[in-house]
Amino acid sequence: MTTASPRRAAKPAASSKPRRAKSNRLAPYFFTTPAIVLYIVFTVIPVAYAIWLSLRAYRVTGGALGRKQDVFVWFENYLAVLQDETFLAGFGRLLIYGVIAIPLTLGLALLFALLLDAPAVRAKRFSRTAIFIPYAVPGVVAALLWGFMYLPSTSPFSYLTKAAGLGSIPFLEESGIFGSLANIAIWGGVGFNMIIIYTSLRGIPADIYESARLDGANELQIAWRIKIPLVAPALVLTGFFSLIGTIQLYSEPATLRPMTSTISAGWVPLMAIYRDAFGTDNLPQAAAASTLLAVGTVLVSALVLRLVNRRRNGMES
Amino acid sequence: MRTHRPLAAAVAGLAIIGVAGLAGCSGSDASSDGPVQLEYWAWASNSQDVVDQWNKENPDIQVKYTDAGGGTDSSAKLLTANRAGNAPDVALVEYTTLPAMIVADVPTDITEYVGDVEDAFTEGTWAQTTFGGVVYGIPQDVGPMANVYRADRFEELGVTPPTTWAEFRTAAEAVKAADPATVIAALPPAEFGFWAGVSTQAGGQWWSSEGDEWTVGIADEPSLEVADFFQALVEDGLVSTDPLLTPEYNAALNNGTMLSWPSAVWAPSVIENVAADTSGGWAMAPLPQWTEGDAAVPYQGGSALVVTTSSDHPEEAAKFAKWLNASEAGNELMINTQSLYPAAIVGQEMTERNDPPALMPQQTDFYAVAAEISADTIPVTWGPNVNLARTVFADELQKAIDNGTPWRDAFIATQKAVIDDMVKSGFTVTND
Repeated sequence: MTTASPRRAAKPAASSKPRRAKSNRLAPYFFTTPAIVLYIVFTVIPVAYAIWLSLRAYRVTGGALGRKQDVFVWFENYLAVLQDETFLAGFGRLLIYGVIAIPLTLGLALLFALLLDAPAVRAKRFSRTAIFIPYAVPGVVAALLWGFMYLPSTSPFSYLTKAAGLGSIPFLEESGIFGSLANIAIWGGVGFNMIIIYTSLRGIPADIYESARLDGANELQIAWRIKIPLVAPALVLTGFFSLIGTIQLYSEPATLRPMTSTISAGWVPLMAIYRDAFGTDNLPQAAAASTLLAVGTVLVSALVLRLVNRRRNGMES
Repeated sequence: MRTHRPLAAAVAGLAIIGVAGLAGCSGSDASSDGPVQLEYWAWASNSQDVVDQWNKENPDIQVKYTDAGGGTDSSAKLLTANRAGNAPDVALVEYTTLPAMIVADVPTDITEYVGDVEDAFTEGTWAQTTFGGVVYGIPQDVGPMANVYRADRFEELGVTPPTTWAEFRTAAEAVKAADPATVIAALPPAEFGFWAGVSTQAGGQWWSSEGDEWTVGIADEPSLEVADFFQALVEDGLVSTDPLLTPEYNAALNNGTMLSWPSAVWAPSVIENVAADTSGGWAMAPLPQWTEGDAAVPYQGGSALVVTTSSDHPEEAAKFAKWLNASEAGNELMINTQSLYPAAIVGQEMTERNDPPALMPQQTDFYAVAAEISADTIPVTWGPNVNLARTVFADELQKAIDNGTPWRDAFIATQKAVIDDMVKSGFTVTND
């Protein structure tokens, strides 16, 4: 903000009155206050309330059907969360799910973006829209849609395998559930990630390609040696979104739950939090779990960013 | 005044969002001298029609109905609304969650308003809403346990419908032998009410209280024997444990490969909703018994109306609840427009003049059988953390089924989790 823009500097100083200069100084307050107030009301206060809630508990006093009192228990809820096997097992499931979903989503997104960016490809606009459209389908709708394609009695895939005498595909059973869930995420997520990578690809100056071609590089080499390294920041960004999205996995398993007994009430961490808050009336423990999950997400994100940056710096030097 | 300028700018900025925010609010406080306004939460079908009828007859007490969505959703909402101090005046609560509601201070003591309707209910039914001499609710509907089955398919396969659980096993074997694609029933771990019901029927007592102390018996001897019995059925492939009312299940109901649903008298209307084409093939019979000749079963399902502690008009609210559940007019509406099986004696007697449910028009003695079952029910005490028990039980039993470990272990693990939770919450639990 120390250097004035050329246009402003070009304006004759005499034409602007002192009064106007003063109101310009006030403008930042005018424009930022709504954002700051909204941020305090809808982010800071709820977070503070959740933390306060996580230090409390409902305790009963007065006999067999005494009344619940709201008492302060320090970090008891946090201890309970860390000892909750269901909650911890959820992270194991997230890991399996993430290992399947993230590389496939990003790999396919990168592949499609590179293909769309390749000069010889036709029907680009149509393909781009077609790949992007699943992202516009809300997660719950996507999960329902796929759920019916997974259920043995309604699944077109199982219909074919049954006709071939192979029996139905165990989409919703222990062996297939992770792949089935990851498939929903990949189907919905590829388009969005592809757009980010594609936009980044379009931002690469064309003269780099030209000089590469003069040097005798083919399209595959250009993609591998020029395009991919140059869109690395976009890949980091999309990888980041996917990681956070994985930790926040909720609506797909929650929607599929009534269709299968494989998914239990606290199958992933967010489902366990929901169960505590609204199933078993343990709002304080749900608040503690939420706080831990949020802190964990920030830590994992910071760690991943650090690793990525270190590697990039190492590559450059 | 220079220092105030940033403040003024900030206020001006705020005014913009302020206008948008205020547009969403509008005062709705009823005036003090108009009719009493009551808020009413329930979920039974056609509740609005019943409320309309009340509003027409009672200009002084006007009721506003909200569909709070199912027993589980509704109880979560009720707890939250109660903590926020804006719970409705009258709410429908399942018998299973009523103790949890009492502990959370949701229902208010209505003993002084309801003395005149106590005789409208059997002692066992009234006991569902009375705790330590204090009345917290008025029973609305009950679900005497019963077996709803495909009489036509049983006959086709040459299998006799079971009257005891031992016969149930024999029948399940015969069904499997006659048609391997057909199964006698699905009994999934999520059907907590069923498992608690058959355990109670066998003599188990999942919760009981004496004085200030609780005893938890989810893993008592009768319940563990029930676990063994059904584990053997499942391991021999005689019953399914897949969830109910999924597209899979509904397809099986429709194509006749799912032969029965051991549950309660409300089952016919549920089946009717998803498999109307099979009407006429079904019949209802008492639940199979553990000991031949012992017909007593508990209720599975059912709910009561409570007046909440946040109500400003408990007397009027209780009056409305009494009209709904204990009066002849209310019961008639409950039966004819809501298809509920009423808790009140007068309502149950009234049903006997009704046609049987659409699922089984040929079974003219349907309501006579229902009343007979209802007359001899085992009283059940529900604990203050039934919802926790429900989720732990479903998870543990599913794990046992998936891993092939003993079902008893699931019952024992559930009991442990329930006791741990109660002790942590501050209850006194004595289990030897």
